[in-house]
Amino acid sequence: MNALLTQRALADTRRHFLSQCGLGLAGMFLGELQGAGAENPLKPKKPSLEAKAKSVIYLHMAGSPSQLELFDFKPELLKYSGKPCPDELLRGKRFAFIKGVPKMLGTPYKFAQYGQSGASISELLPHFSKVVDDVTIVRSMNTDQFNHAPAQLFVHTGSPRFGAASMGAWATYGLGSENQDLPGFVVLTSGGNNPDGGKSLWGSGFLPSVYQGVQCRTSGDPVLYLSNPEGMTRSLRRKTLDALHDLNGLQQKESGDPETEARIAQYELAYRMQISVPQVMDISKESEATRALYGAQPGETSFANNCLLARRLVESGVRFVQLFHWGWDHHGNSRREDIRYALQPQAASVDRSMSALITDLKQRGLLDQTLIVWGGEFGRTPMQENRAGSGPYMGRDHHPYAYTMWMAGGGMKKGLNFGSTDEIGYYIAENPVSVRDLQATILHQLGLDPHRFSYPYLGLNQRLIGPTDEGHVRKELLA
Amino acid sequence: MKRWLFGPLCASVLAAAESAPVDFQREVRPLLSKRCVSCHGPDEHARQAGLRLDTFEGATARGAITPGNSAGSRMVARINHPKTPMPPTGPRLSPEEVTLLARWIDQGARYTRHWSFEKPVRPAPPAVKNEAWVKNPIDRFVVARLEKENLAPAPEADRYVLARRVALDLTGVPPEPEQLQLPYEKLVDELLKSPRYGERWAKIWLDLARYADTQGYEKDDRRVIWPYRDWVIRAFNDNLPFDRFTILQLAGDLTPDPAVDDLIATGFHRNTMTNTEGGTDDEEFRDSAIRDRIAVTGQVWMGLSVGCAQCHTHKYDPITHKEFYQLYAFLNQTADNDHPSDQPLLKLTADTSTLIMRELPMEKRRQTRIYDRGNFLTPGAPVDAATPEAFPPMPVSAPTNRLGLAQWIMSPENPLTARVTANRFWARLFGKGIVESEEDFGTQGTPPTHPELLDWLATEFAGNKWDVKALLKTIVMSSTYRQASNATPELLTKDPQNRLYARGPRFRLDAEAVRDQALAVAGLLSKKMYGPPVMPWQPEGVWLVVYNGDRWDISKGEDRYRRALYTFMRRSSPYPSMTNYDAPTGEVCTARRIRTNTPLQALTSLNDPVSMEAAERLAARAITEGGGGSKTAERLFQMALVRPPSKAETERLAALHKQAKSELKSDAGSVNKLLRFSENLYGENREITIIADSRTQAATWRYVSADPGATWAGADFDDKSWPSAAGAFGSGKKPPSDLKLPVKWDSEQLWLRTEVTLASPLPERFRLAVRANVQVELYVNGVQGVAAPWERAGYYDYALSPGAAAAFKPGRNVVAVKLARNHAEASAQFFDGGLYANRPLDGAKLTAQSLDHAAWVVVANTVLNLDEMVTKR
Repeated sequence: MNALLTQRALADTRRHFLSQCGLGLAGMFLGELQGAGAENPLKPKKPSLEAKAKSVIYLHMAGSPSQLELFDFKPELLKYSGKPCPDELLRGKRFAFIKGVPKMLGTPYKFAQYGQSGASISELLPHFSKVVDDVTIVRSMNTDQFNHAPAQLFVHTGSPRFGAASMGAWATYGLGSENQDLPGFVVLTSGGNNPDGGKSLWGSGFLPSVYQGVQCRTSGDPVLYLSNPEGMTRSLRRKTLDALHDLNGLQQKESGDPETEARIAQYELAYRMQISVPQVMDISKESEATRALYGAQPGETSFANNCLLARRLVESGVRFVQLFHWGWDHHGNSRREDIRYALQPQAASVDRSMSALITDLKQRGLLDQTLIVWGGEFGRTPMQENRAGSGPYMGRDHHPYAYTMWMAGGGMKKGLNFGSTDEIGYYIAENPVSVRDLQATILHQLGLDPHRFSYPYLGLNQRLIGPTDEGHVRKELLA
Repeated sequence: MKRWLFGPLCASVLAAAESAPVDFQREVRPLLSKRCVSCHGPDEHARQAGLRLDTFEGATARGAITPGNSAGSRMVARINHPKTPMPPTGPRLSPEEVTLLARWIDQGARYTRHWSFEKPVRPAPPAVKNEAWVKNPIDRFVVARLEKENLAPAPEADRYVLARRVALDLTGVPPEPEQLQLPYEKLVDELLKSPRYGERWAKIWLDLARYADTQGYEKDDRRVIWPYRDWVIRAFNDNLPFDRFTILQLAGDLTPDPAVDDLIATGFHRNTMTNTEGGTDDEEFRDSAIRDRIAVTGQVWMGLSVGCAQCHTHKYDPITHKEFYQLYAFLNQTADNDHPSDQPLLKLTADTSTLIMRELPMEKRRQTRIYDRGNFLTPGAPVDAATPEAFPPMPVSAPTNRLGLAQWIMSPENPLTARVTANRFWARLFGKGIVESEEDFGTQGTPPTHPELLDWLATEFAGNKWDVKALLKTIVMSSTYRQASNATPELLTKDPQNRLYARGPRFRLDAEAVRDQALAVAGLLSKKMYGPPVMPWQPEGVWLVVYNGDRWDISKGEDRYRRALYTFMRRSSPYPSMTNYDAPTGEVCTARRIRTNTPLQALTSLNDPVSMEAAERLAARAITEGGGGSKTAERLFQMALVRPPSKAETERLAALHKQAKSELKSDAGSVNKLLRFSENLYGENREITIIADSRTQAATWRYVSADPGATWAGADFDDKSWPSAAGAFGSGKKPPSDLKLPVKWDSEQLWLRTEVTLASPLPERFRLAVRANVQVELYVNGVQGVAAPWERAGYYDYALSPGAAAAFKPGRNVVAVKLARNHAEASAQFFDGGLYANRPLDGAKLTAQSLDHAAWVVVANTVLNLDEMVTKR
């Protein structure tokens, strides 16, 4: 495979890098271009730093789960529950929906401490509470966006506006992929909707589109256009590819264009993907016990299936697996958005499988080289959202000032409880971690220097962590 | 050659002799820009030690540089400092770099302005040895350079190749067969007059305009802005001079007595996104739209990365933080304000209103302020509209508003507009610009490969009253353009990227052309122009957008085969076959697409049903016109690729045809599906009702409102005790007036079951048709088939999951539906649903003729995937 591709494959993409790198770097690349010729842009590359993680599984909870119901227990908030929110917490603040003076809202759920780390976890996450000693919990995340689409874009591309490259695109740009028969960056969605930020959340932005995430689907074609058209059998397809190979070869002899060789290679890769993608996407191949561990059911579109698929994908050498699970936007305007009724099934839909992912990777010796990241795009307010007046339902508004995420594997400190919020969970009390810190830390674990890893576009060296140096690798989180 | 190709740095290493004069522009400025200017440049906040090295005054003020005396210049000492050398980050400057700077200082440290900020002067085309090759001045610049490199131009491409190339370039579709007989110039004139010309160049412009048919962000609702798209098509076809084209788009509403079309033109900057997500601050996203407009205006017309100055003064180019907000002030007076209604709108017909620009009345004008670090929540000092000082001032007659800004951009004194635009047209024809970084002509951009040619084109264009067709004609009439594109091994080594033009352009077609061409050669491409966007076939499930029930309803008739630029563009869910071929999504301005070569492109062209429909039709035409055997192979090839095939190519296609026949000879089902691909795809006239909804005679359901337990949806569950009724379910104060609700449902949830009996062969493509404002889940014999979102205005179809469709078996089946209320406070809750499917394709007859034809479809699918097919050569 690599032999085929490392001939002048994907020449134009490569040329683009060279021209973009322009000027000062050009001298260094000169020999490379004139010697070996253009290379496969997804060829595995050695990172500049020592990599702790080979791959990333990012579990994005689209809509943003309530940290106050799941991870961040605030007994004091219970005392204030139902009382009007103090003015100083509202002054100068912008909220998505809260108007006037909302009431404080304590959690209806019980918390207890688990594991040697003594992590405080809600009764909504019974499975997760058993794996806390393998996990780094950060209860002091904060962001500066409080609307879904911009906040999701900010997390995944480093910019709340469209046009920047996503984290998975950066990772495959910097590191390539270990398996050339599968896409290097795979996206799986569940929960009935794509995330609010749309497909730009796994777009390549200003990077060449070869680095964009490939959405794999659990119903229909796993990758769009993967199946042969009706009537075109696989053996017929082989015959057509043989003819394409011969005819393109004739053309290449005449034109001398290396791009043609690259295209021949891509058609062969496409043919192999027709086998390799359905294979990796087929969870019926897993043992009954493994499927039960995740709660996965072949044929469904579910977060459980996607977690199991994520493990299969990283096991096969995929660099970055991005899951979006929709349905966490519990505002309390209806039963479907009520933290008492809707949060429980929603939490249950991820609890078993996300915990199973940790357990399963660990059993297979893959957890150390796989970084799992879990979280939403912001948090939820300690106040009850009051849009529906004093209706019968309970929910929370968007809260950018403090929320919880967790990470596991990939060189993160095990059993760490990091950061805390004030007594009602409104502000961070210690060790704030920003979205840019998170991005810097993820890149660092992959062996990429977040401050230097860049791509020149529109006159700037674009970086995932943005143009300023606010983002830092958070060494306190690392093993 | 190497100097321009690979940058000045290595050039200086490789080429410079000790005494040769140093070229500041080419050699020194890039080095300063890269290594020094980010801390010692125009940005006063980032500036260290009060030193700037981007101007002579700054560098010499306090002895960092002493002109003529490198040994006495502190800059050199700091660079050479043994312990703490400058720059403090990154590798040390190489000895060659240090020598270069020292030589430059010793030669007087002359600063000149960045090349593109000086007004272009029309250069005299150079004398060349190869006079015979010169068709117009372009060729002189090109061949003069080739002669310097000891290279000869390639011979002219053959007439088939050339006709296909120029037709694809000028119209985006291959030439008509009868056009092949025309003399070249006549062909060019015909193509420039073709309505297809405007469609092709409009699409390129729409990339810059970040055109899309939706509002963007989370909900990404539809908006009607296609009248602007149509305006662009007409503008190109009418050859509207580029200055007028510019002024109308930026400020048509401010021109005297604007016509309706002049207002529609202002849609250019109404293509910014509107964030209708609940709980957004409209001012935040209005501000965001204004920034986008400034950045896009700078990028599109002047190749300037103005957006870099929104948080701080530009680190490299002469645009200060304050100047960004002075530009902002020009655009800050429009009436649009990120409101979901997308106001202001212009009413065109009773049911069509489109987005336009309107200036606020005097009393509602906004005061623009500098935003600290670009944050609209931290406004600073007030500023008034003004253009950046580094550029010539606004024309005296120009008003201080958007119109004046547009006039400034098009002013003959503006050094950038003509260059940037001419370069863009050149780039579309040759694959890369003379300045490769089309969007950035600033100090960080790539230097021009042929600076004099660029200036000649720019002055020719502006001097010729900004006549776009004339510019394009001049380029395509040149010998440079007309060369064969075959590359010799020597050329591949010496000039792999064809930056010297010793051969013709050869590169992959744009996404739109890949599709349009396939449909065109099949005879399927519709010539219908203009109007609302269309929805050709796309895979199921691509549109799944939060809080938006809108859906992709496949167009009927010829609207399935319109040119790609008429395809509905939803920003958050772009048309996937276009995306796979590098088409942008309309979220941001795309100055140039980066072409990639990926397996997803191969899968798209091989397997996209649209491409198969083209194959089906192309094969049918080739059979009719070819008459069988190798004649059909030849015909098919030439229809697709314009040129006749070689003997080897014909033989290989004939061999494939034979192989396909042998593969298919006992596979009647596949033969039938290949021959009737399109019919099978759309399934028209084969629809059958499995469960009727209340639009006809509603089916009878058993139902229960108390949770019936986990096994309720299974085929074996006993529902005999449940009541039964026919019709739609629901209750409430205000159900839709045209929907009768004979069965009262007012509980939180409801469980429904009904039985259907199916015969063999089983139907295909099961779909639920539903009209509801509740959560709907459907199960087939206990397997979940649909979990439908909520709140639709009418009936919509949802395809059943493959798993559920496979759960149907001949005989008795149970279809079960679970309903759940969305809003307690909703004025009604209702559900009406039915199940529909297609009869499978019948009449799979295998005859010698059907086998032969099906095998040609396989051949056509192959030809449409040839490298040459997706390539302009």
